[in-house]
Amino acid sequence: MKIETTDPAAEPSAIFYKRCSVDLRSGDMSFADVPCRNFEDVLGGFGRSFQDLAKRQVENAYCDENPLIVNTGLLTGSSVMTALRTYFSGYSPIKGSQAGLPAAMWSTGSGKFGAKFKWTGLDELVFENRSATPIYVLIKETAAGPQVELKPAEHLLGLSTHAKIMALQKEYADAHFAAIGQAGENWQNNYMGSVALSTENQLKSHEDKCRFAGRGGMGSLMGYKNILALVAQSSDKVSKISEAVKKVNINVIKGGGSARIQPLSRGGGGGTWAAYDVLQEFHAVPVNNFRPQGNDLPERLFRANVERDYHIKSEACFRCGITCHNNISEKNADGSRGEFLAKFDYEPLNLLSTNLGIHEAGQAARLIQLTDNYGMDAISLGVTIAYALSYNARHPHQRILNGATFGDYEKIRELVIQAGEGRLPEIGKGSMRLSASLGETAYAYHVKGLEIAAYQPETNPGYAWAIAGGHMSMGTYGLLTREGKSDLESWVKGITEDKLHIVGFDMIGLCKFFDIAKGIGTQMVVDCLKSECNLDVSIEEIRASVRRAFLRGLALELRQGYSKAEFCLPAEVSENPNPNIKLPNITSSEFIEKLEKRVWEIFEPELQGLLD
Amino acid sequence: MIINVKLVGLFQTGRFKQQDREYPIGIKVQDVIDDLQLPQQHFGIVLINGVHADINTLVTAGDHVVIMPVVDGG
Ligand code: SF4
Repeated sequence: MKIETTDPAAEPSAIFYKRCSVDLRSGDMSFADVPCRNFEDVLGGFGRSFQDLAKRQVENAYCDENPLIVNTGLLTGSSVMTALRTYFSGYSPIKGSQAGLPAAMWSTGSGKFGAKFKWTGLDELVFENRSATPIYVLIKETAAGPQVELKPAEHLLGLSTHAKIMALQKEYADAHFAAIGQAGENWQNNYMGSVALSTENQLKSHEDKCRFAGRGGMGSLMGYKNILALVAQSSDKVSKISEAVKKVNINVIKGGGSARIQPLSRGGGGGTWAAYDVLQEFHAVPVNNFRPQGNDLPERLFRANVERDYHIKSEACFRCGITCHNNISEKNADGSRGEFLAKFDYEPLNLLSTNLGIHEAGQAARLIQLTDNYGMDAISLGVTIAYALSYNARHPHQRILNGATFGDYEKIRELVIQAGEGRLPEIGKGSMRLSASLGETAYAYHVKGLEIAAYQPETNPGYAWAIAGGHMSMGTYGLLTREGKSDLESWVKGITEDKLHIVGFDMIGLCKFFDIAKGIGTQMVVDCLKSECNLDVSIEEIRASVRRAFLRGLALELRQGYSKAEFCLPAEVSENPNPNIKLPNITSSEFIEKLEKRVWEIFEPELQGLLD
Repeated sequence: MIINVKLVGLFQTGRFKQQDREYPIGIKVQDVIDDLQLPQQHFGIVLINGVHADINTLVTAGDHVVIMPVVDGG
């Protein structure tokens, strides 16, 4: 970024980001220092990419007009804790309206690729059209500025995400990588491809410990463009941490914001996995396609129970003190660590185990590992398979696919493999399409075509207004369980004011665990922007910018043909309320009707002019 | 008075899962948290007889109190 002002909200055009546009068909590329249009452009991530996507009329995700935008946030690569995010944006193959148009989407992950990318001197890479042959893209730092090269990648075809990264590491020892797996390569039949981002830990241990930009099929879009991997080659730019940032970083680790994510050994809560114990108290852990049964089956995957048989280690991305990765390995007879299996984050764990009727940790780990290696979004895959299992349970004499039912590990594993290899479009294209083809949509757990996260919809009517996936782009998932809010006013306020601010993290380059409850409109972020970029910004300016970016996402959904009726939870939730969930019912038709009316009354007037 | 306390997740470590405990009349949830030396930064949710409460809620004889850590993120 070239920064020629201290006031980014008033003078955004005095801040320039370095963009490289690559025409994959011709191989032409151009570099530009682009002046920012507004503060959202300055902050970056989806705040910028969605403005560019809004300028394009895209009717099919797999078309020349749909770009793949790879960018970072203003703080990516800085010394602020968690500042490692990379964003992938484009029109999504999997998320789309009933009108048949694809939704704009972004997906993000950590690892070290984002920082390395930023340190090449580039802020944004836009891929136009598609390459005729498989390529990987080398982005490198040179004395003359960032350079981008397109390289043949036939040798990477058919490799897993991890294997691609390992192969590239042999050639580029000082680089970091973003790679798709076989799922993304088979984009015609798999719309849920993810992008794997390399970590220091992975490159050192050669174990498959990537992080993922999973949601919305950005890996499939990358596969469509015939890009198998990105390589960011630059020297590490680790400067001395300022006193101000040091203070913030200590606050992030010790101040409570990330305490629950920290390892148990350091007095933390043990990561997102801890959600199992808490949600089980309400019988709100998704079981068998989001139908908790009121029994203690989910307890088998409580950390305390898994720990007896498996080795668990908390690890972190480059320089991050939050240490949120719970890595599971086999336990040797002497108690030492055996083969690495997978990471146990709450979402992939639940959606690839308990919600499929699987309650054994080793089986869960193997499914997560397969999903990661094929490069699929664990949420979309898990939920779509859960739908198929549910269909089979309801139609014992007319089962679909391989006839798998809840708990049948071998058959479920087969479905994962077939989907990953592009041999099972029924699963690969997601639950919206599968359920529509079978004529039974009520128990397909997606909202607006994107599968929901592992929080029961009965606890989160806010899913309907999430703009890029259930829990990452609408922070209302704890409003009922955690805060006990079941009144209309609290939900209207939650959706339209406080909880939408979670998306700010998907602009600025930080992880949500930086301060998940408050978002980026805080004094901590103000101090970091001053220290790292010499920018004077107020909390109010940050919040206003995040709100505009969120609303632009909503406006873009409507522009892509979503009717208001599509902003809804799966029908089963209100048609057949689950009596086992021990929480007040806030998803009755009456409550939802009132909520919809109030929320749209607030949002709608603000949507005018946002896409101009 | 006797109240029944249930601890969830990491709060159980080195303590108990569920126990009847004796407390003086007039105590609040915060007093139970202090008595059990639960790490304050992890305190998230408290239910009294299945209903959400907070640290200032009075606890009465026979109450079933569930104390849980915070839950967040994916
Ligand atoms: S919070 Fe977790 S994912 Fe984010 S940078 Fe830290 S260790 Fe990585």
